[in-house]
Amino acid sequence: MTDLTLGALDRDEALTEVVDELCGSTRAQLLRGAAVGGAAMLAALAAPSVAEGRVSDVRILNFALRFERLQAAFYTQGDEIGTVGRMPEPRREWAEVLGAHERAHVRILKRVLGPKAGPRPAFDFGAATETDLAFTRTVVAMEDLTVAFLTGVSPLLRDRAVTAAIFGLLTVEARHAAWGRHLLRRAPTPRPFDDGRTLASVQRAVARTGFIVDRPRTSSRRSPRFTG
Amino acid sequence: MTRLRAATRRWPAVAVALAAACAAILVAGLAGRSPSPHRAAGTGLSALPAPRAPAFTPGRPTRLGSTRELTRWAPVRAPVVARGAPDPGAPALATLSTRTPEGTDNAVEVLDRRTDGAGRPWLRVALPLLPNGTTGWVPRGALGGYQTVDTRLVIDLRTLRATLLRRGRVVLRAPVGVGRAGWPTPRGTFLVRNRLTRYRGATYGPVAFGTSARSPRATDWPAGGFVGIHGTDRPDLVPGRISHGCIRLRNADILALDRRMPIGTPVIIR
Repeated sequence: MTDLTLGALDRDEALTEVVDELCGSTRAQLLRGAAVGGAAMLAALAAPSVAEGRVSDVRILNFALRFERLQAAFYTQGDEIGTVGRMPEPRREWAEVLGAHERAHVRILKRVLGPKAGPRPAFDFGAATETDLAFTRTVVAMEDLTVAFLTGVSPLLRDRAVTAAIFGLLTVEARHAAWGRHLLRRAPTPRPFDDGRTLASVQRAVARTGFIVDRPRTSSRRSPRFTG
Repeated sequence: MTRLRAATRRWPAVAVALAAACAAILVAGLAGRSPSPHRAAGTGLSALPAPRAPAFTPGRPTRLGSTRELTRWAPVRAPVVARGAPDPGAPALATLSTRTPEGTDNAVEVLDRRTDGAGRPWLRVALPLLPNGTTGWVPRGALGGYQTVDTRLVIDLRTLRATLLRRGRVVLRAPVGVGRAGWPTPRGTFLVRNRLTRYRGATYGPVAFGTSARSPRATDWPAGGFVGIHGTDRPDLVPGRISHGCIRLRNADILALDRRMPIGTPVIIR
């Protein structure tokens, strides 16, 4: 027999480390951690990192879409499997509202990008959506990371109208994060100034969660051996 | 020395006077450079441009609808013992493998979840075992990410018809061939686990779907006697009771099903 429980725990502990790091980290801490993670984890993301400043608006919007899809899928799964439904009321409302917002963000980014929108990745959230605490902590970490991401990339956008739209998303994501932090009894605004993160560092942070995975392989060219 | 002390005492007053003069010059300079509408408005702010219109704004957020029509499944990520209860010490029922006999990732329907005394999440899954309908508990970590489908395929053994539904609405109906006397198609709820295509031979038609259903009669069949849903090279026999347990559709129908039925769709045979 294979004892997979231990494996699952190890995986979740690794995830918890990432979440802890994201919840209260400085950029230096994140980058230190990311260096340990290394290039293999970067491969989990289809988009390779690029030098900041040469990145196009489409590329930034596509990563935003990828990130919003990750979040939307996380909320949706937490809702569908009943974790959100079992939360006490203040947190339940928060999770449902945020899920609806993130799904709206996905829809608009997909529409804006049109045929340039990247494919929807496959996700494996492991045990992170299974319990109230794991769900809430992960959400707060993701919302904080979203704020740092949008803060970091907004000045890189070339189109002012797109920048204006991203600011509209950024302020909402910041409220999501503050609302969640408040529910977790953490400081809603831990610092007087939000540092932006580079696109590459956010890619690494996302990759380290292990949430983005290959799709299950369910097709084959083998000859059937069914009962006929 | 006395003059120096007197000058030092006067220094704060001199500094204040100098600062006031500088401020006056600065304000005058700024005002001089301002466009005339500012002065005309009095506030200097009314001529500022309006906020930049955003390139896009999200639509109305919507909360999730009913999940009643959804089925959840997950790939088996590592070989795992399925147990009779969500407890590492519970009796073992079977070992779930990561691959189907067709070499694709094994997929199981997720029916329930629970947390054990140590706080570890477990999932109750449908096992591809005889007797059909057996379920067991596996640790959450043994399975990959949840996938959801909103379709279900109903096979009516009495009327010999297949009906595909999406969110409860019929999207396809087709006649089927099912197991002949002595080789019955098993009743129950199963899962479409894989899709085979471009294989050699015409017996199974252009597309075949593997399911988790097993024939109780074909236990010594190669690969374990799993029931498939596939096309045929004998469309003249459909509908009918003609197979060893598999569900046969005419090729045009199996292709239509292929366009509409995702992997993970539950198959209800009744």
